[in-house]
Amino acid sequence: MRWLAACLALIPGAALAHASERMVILTLPTGWYMLGAGIAVALTALAGLMAGRLPGFRARVLFERRAILSRTTISWLAAFAFWSLIATGIWGTRDPLGNLLPLTVWTVLWVGLTLASILFGNLWRDIEPWTGPARTIRHLMARTGNVGLSHLCHWPAVAGYLGFAWFEIVSLSPADPLDLARVAAGYYLLILALAVLEGEDWLERGEFMTVYFAMVSRIAPFWAEHEETRVKTMAGLPGAQILRLPPLTPSAIAFVTLVLASVSFDGLTETFWWLARLGINPLEFPGRSAVLGVNSAALLAFWTVSAALILGAIRAGLPHETFRQGVGAVMLSFLPIAAGYHVAHYFIALLTNGQYAIAALNDPFGRGWQLLGLPDHWVSFGFLTTHSGVQMIWMAQFAVILGAHLLAVLLNLKLTERFPEADGVRAHLPMTLLMIAYTVFGLWLLSSPTAG
Amino acid sequence: MANKSTPLNPTRRSVLTGMAAGGALLTTGLGARFAQAQSSEPIRIGFQLHRTGIGASYGRWYERTATAALNVLNEGGGINGRPVELVFEDDGTDPKRGAEVVEKLTTQSNCDLVMGTLFSHVVIGSAPRAGELKVPYLVCSEGHHVASGMLNRWTMQPGITDVKSQVQGMAPFVTSNLGKKITMIFPDFAFGHDHRDYFTAAVAAQGGEVIKHIAIPPTETSFTRYFPQIPSDTDVIYHVMVGPAVLTFVKELGEFYGSGARPQLFGFIDSLEAVDINSPGLEFLDGSHFWEGHPRYKQADASEHEAFYRAAVGVDDNGASVSDPADIATYAHMFSTWETLFVIKHAMEAAGYQGPADRQKIVEAIEAMTDFAEGQAHPQGPKTFNGKTHQTFGLQSITKVEGGKLVRVHQTTMEDGFYPDEVDYTTMSF
Repeated sequence: MRWLAACLALIPGAALAHASERMVILTLPTGWYMLGAGIAVALTALAGLMAGRLPGFRARVLFERRAILSRTTISWLAAFAFWSLIATGIWGTRDPLGNLLPLTVWTVLWVGLTLASILFGNLWRDIEPWTGPARTIRHLMARTGNVGLSHLCHWPAVAGYLGFAWFEIVSLSPADPLDLARVAAGYYLLILALAVLEGEDWLERGEFMTVYFAMVSRIAPFWAEHEETRVKTMAGLPGAQILRLPPLTPSAIAFVTLVLASVSFDGLTETFWWLARLGINPLEFPGRSAVLGVNSAALLAFWTVSAALILGAIRAGLPHETFRQGVGAVMLSFLPIAAGYHVAHYFIALLTNGQYAIAALNDPFGRGWQLLGLPDHWVSFGFLTTHSGVQMIWMAQFAVILGAHLLAVLLNLKLTERFPEADGVRAHLPMTLLMIAYTVFGLWLLSSPTAG
Repeated sequence: MANKSTPLNPTRRSVLTGMAAGGALLTTGLGARFAQAQSSEPIRIGFQLHRTGIGASYGRWYERTATAALNVLNEGGGINGRPVELVFEDDGTDPKRGAEVVEKLTTQSNCDLVMGTLFSHVVIGSAPRAGELKVPYLVCSEGHHVASGMLNRWTMQPGITDVKSQVQGMAPFVTSNLGKKITMIFPDFAFGHDHRDYFTAAVAAQGGEVIKHIAIPPTETSFTRYFPQIPSDTDVIYHVMVGPAVLTFVKELGEFYGSGARPQLFGFIDSLEAVDINSPGLEFLDGSHFWEGHPRYKQADASEHEAFYRAAVGVDDNGASVSDPADIATYAHMFSTWETLFVIKHAMEAAGYQGPADRQKIVEAIEAMTDFAEGQAHPQGPKTFNGKTHQTFGLQSITKVEGGKLVRVHQTTMEDGFYPDEVDYTTMSF
């Protein structure tokens, strides 16, 4: 790399700006929005404290029906779809925005399914590809025992998510169809083997996608509750599910802080501010290979700092004797923030790469098909350069970030009601300050200048 | 490993339905067109695409333009009677991946050559690998790195002029028509330094003077505090700001001068490539001048080839996508992929190219080229190719913002962009 760095330092050439929504957003008065959001969070906390009465967050059954297909059957279908996508990644087009594997993983699942799950509950449960095959294989092997993986709680999922975040944010070619196919296939086989050894129920503890979607879907206003052959469709205020959850275990706390930190870090690494810290000119960003090492270390450091800040704020708010039992409950109030950050951060990717995903369905094998009847040049990004388009995107992101934090503040007030020994103002001040800071930081990430 | 597509003409929907790349071409009635070839194997051209990373916005239009050119090429009988495929591979706008992509395209995808790279650092990171693999590497970068002599015999830039030539070509117009006392505002890194050095020298040669250089740190996002440095006797402000703060730069410059008198403004369209010139905040640019490699707005005297090119790529008369008037093309640069593809066609045909064993002949054939006439293969205009420096030279346009459009007021001569050779690649070994 040294010779390359030397070349780059010496050789001028084309440095080309390009249109991005940041160009327009820098002309918007985003500072006032940040100030307003911070004040709104503070006032909500204050009002909640003074009101003495908080929303009930009750849940109710909308309707109940029989399950149409067994979970095993659905999961086998999902496994078939998964391997079809792997085949597409290996033998399909090399273009990551034309190949359905990267489009499905990074846009449809990671962004689209998260958004859908935040609205309609844990949809991953209905499409995860391991339960059926693991159950069948265990049945064929007449295996009923386990190897004790469940004692590791959520730690395997934490490790899985960390690897996933590194692959997405730091590694050189996460969207390359062949690279992604190899990684996804390897991960699938590893998890399948572990699920066969331990039992498919372990997935809910140890597989990071399963844990992730279960967590973010807890803020959904609609969700399903499954029994043997029946499905109840439920409704309630966002957060209604969260208040019915048991306190998070230490490994689950680690998982939530990692989700929060990784999305923030993804945004941070693209900012001028971060690149300036690394001594890199953002106008000629030399590519991921130049920051691979430093961003790998920084991802871990950022997670550590984020976790320390969150736990520190909880610790500062709870009496010493209450902290151990209270931290797992209070951490639940961060689930809306994790979900909100994710939606806001990936919103533009959904609007842009989502078009490529639809276009790829229109012509999945690059044969000139028109399965969906889309015209030529259907993919279009003009909205990223118009004042009105960028204003609408910013407003949506602002609403999501602010809404997530207001919900988090309310949930925090509600959850700390469980600990009467926690004095009102003292208990809530550190957390409220952290929520304000997180709100402003989230909006700053979305509006500050970035490379690319 | 499949390529993305090999659509054959602008009405590909009707032609291509159900057709696979490669062998299936012969089942669609197009086989006769390619029947004269000694081999019916498709020619595979690797395209190093900035699909992700900071070059992605350019990559989108480069892919679209190259695909349109491919349609036209195949409709006209392909190369040497053989159909042509483009194999797009993402380099992440990263030089390390760029070198890997060159290797993948050459050794795994069995491409006959590699083309299409835009960003200079990726070109510089990839070219050595192309040299090691002995595969022709045709870049569309406009950097001076090819003609400067720092690359190798296998790397060529036949489809777009380099920045040194472009900047030098602007000087006579600026000093003759806008003024002789010039203040330059540029980002303080290599790109800006290029402009500073080339333009300052070119202006001096024309009897003008750059009276002030204002270098802006690359991470700067507010510029008001720099404007008082502009000398009051400045005739022309030459600006080449790039990055996400460009709209802010123009807006603040407008606020600095208000409605009072201001110097003439001259800029490079690189600042506003893919940005609507009528965006809020850009009103201050009304009446100012720009360099454009290829005028975004269709000019009154546009050739039939220009009209054909726009229709094939799907760009309207305002330089926007035909499917979205707000989606502005990277029009000043993307023609280079189109023209490069046709240079490849002519080179392969001149060399009697049969397969990878003939790769050296492609380089030699291009080195032997001297002129490209304006036409369907070269819609941007005529060019002179310098086989020794592997660099093409062409006509540059100076446009003026009038009535919300960029209207050409001057076109340089070929000679305006010439400079003494800095290398003779033909003396280097393969």
